[in-house]
Amino acid sequence: MIAFASSVTKPDVYARCAKVGIERAAEPGSEVIAAEATGPISRSYNALLDRFAGRDELEALVLLHQDTEIVDPDFCARVRDALEDPQVGVAGCVGAIDVRSIAWWEGSVTLSSFANRYEEHGGGDLPGFSWAWSEAPPYAQVGEVDTVDGFLLVLPPWTVGNVRFDEELSHFHGYDLDFCLQVREAGRKVVTADLRALHHRGIEMLPDLDSWIDAHVRIAEKWDGRMPGVGQAPGSWEERARRAEAERDAARTIAHTKRLERQARLRQVERALAEARGSISWRLTAPLRRLRRL
Amino acid sequence: MILFASAMTDPEAYRRYARPGIRLAAEPDSVIHAFAAVGSVCRSYNMLLDRAALESDVEALVLLQQDVEILDRGFCDEVRRALEDPDVAVVGPVGARDVKTIAWWDGEISAGPVVQRYQAFGSGEIPAFSWKGTAPAPAEVDVLDGRLMVLSRWALETLRFDESLQLGHGYELDLCLKARAAGRKVMTADLPVAYHTRTLRVLNDYDLWIEGHIQAAERFAGRLEEPALPQAAWMERARRAEAEREAARTLAYSAEHEVDAELAPLERALEELTGSTSWRVTGPLRRLNQWRAQRRGSNG
Repeated sequence: MIAFASSVTKPDVYARCAKVGIERAAEPGSEVIAAEATGPISRSYNALLDRFAGRDELEALVLLHQDTEIVDPDFCARVRDALEDPQVGVAGCVGAIDVRSIAWWEGSVTLSSFANRYEEHGGGDLPGFSWAWSEAPPYAQVGEVDTVDGFLLVLPPWTVGNVRFDEELSHFHGYDLDFCLQVREAGRKVVTADLRALHHRGIEMLPDLDSWIDAHVRIAEKWDGRMPGVGQAPGSWEERARRAEAERDAARTIAHTKRLERQARLRQVERALAEARGSISWRLTAPLRRLRRL
Repeated sequence: MILFASAMTDPEAYRRYARPGIRLAAEPDSVIHAFAAVGSVCRSYNMLLDRAALESDVEALVLLQQDVEILDRGFCDEVRRALEDPDVAVVGPVGARDVKTIAWWDGEISAGPVVQRYQAFGSGEIPAFSWKGTAPAPAEVDVLDGRLMVLSRWALETLRFDESLQLGHGYELDLCLKARAAGRKVMTADLPVAYHTRTLRVLNDYDLWIEGHIQAAERFAGRLEEPALPQAAWMERARRAEAEREAARTLAYSAEHEVDAELAPLERALEELTGSTSWRVTGPLRRLNQWRAQRRGSNG
């Protein structure tokens, strides 16, 4: 049996997103749990793991955020494919290799089979690079990775019975990387699988910056020396601080540039629209358009 | 007498931007020094200081880059007003306080009426530093934007740019820190100028700038109220900076997504409009109008 479970803080979001996808994907015998969140996501998820641990009929537990919508009707068959290798400890639809921090997207992303569905500016989708295989770049592939994104986690019974989310780390951020690191430390694999989901969320990637930074530091401290690359960098602490501060300021400046370019691009398109709408030919044909609307 | 000085790497840019601004602002007795740049920005600016020192009656030296255009006929009056206080050593249209690194624009910016005129995206004009709120000039600041700085007679005779900053980055911060260390003030003033740029990039060569940032941070240690840190504190600082760096990179991606999302409906509207039957039907009329406009243009 493939079970689906979510930790819910906003029932309306769950009903609109996760529930819709689960109904699309679940099999007749699937168990579905929408549990009210109890503190940090790691605690809520551990309660769900405890609930399913030791259940003989469990083939996989799918943990998904309340704003994640599975899109594949044959999702369960894809999950079984992904978990065919008994060494697999976690599967997901977005993942990366050479991950060194909770900013896993700074590693080499190998699969990004999701679309960010946003409501701002009239709504729209920002699809990941492997959302459509026909348009995916050559580096898009399923396979072993360092971590997967936590908005959709597929766990086999071994993981449900043996690994727990670290409740001390943070309220939200970094729990997924930490979990994947634990799974890998235990000798199991973390893999991406051919699964797709919509992530219904705002465009802003870090709405709570300070807590994200705290989680980044905590994960680095926890895993430095335990997992190659994580929390490590060349040079003395002073050299690392100097370089990181310089790179931080450069990155901030890139963000400033993006904001300026945004203003300029908006003005450019608005200007083109205004010119077109103000043209004699457009005004001349207005009666025609009014007629067509009738 | 107010002296205007520029060291150029691109004479055409000077001809187009700096020179018309200087001509607009200069007084009958103003002297203009326009030279080719030599070596680093610091060496070029020291050359301009040396040349200015040869003039006996300089009230103030206006150092400006080739792509900065002064927009106000009353520029010299405003400079004199700003330098009325004898403690004021350096004045400029843009500056910042609470500055921690050479990325001074991450501090609290104070700015006069400064605009950026860009060529990218069909060209346009936006207020400079419009990605964040700025306080109006005048205000006392830690550092000025090096694109236009006015040095008082005292500053001209006393201060030098640090040519050992091999990459040049942070030269304006170094100069302003020297002025402040000597007990003088650095001020923004109400000086209308335009920064002319091709793109909207705040920096051009990030890798080089990062090296310059590190070099300047080491050089300025102790001058920017940075306490000497024991090893454990450096570790804490490194961890935090590494986290902030990743956060900043992520925010840059976010900003890019924001642009795409904001533009999508407008681009859709434009596409719908230009793909509509009435737009296509009236195509010949627009082409005729274009042809007529071109003819008018070619006939003078």
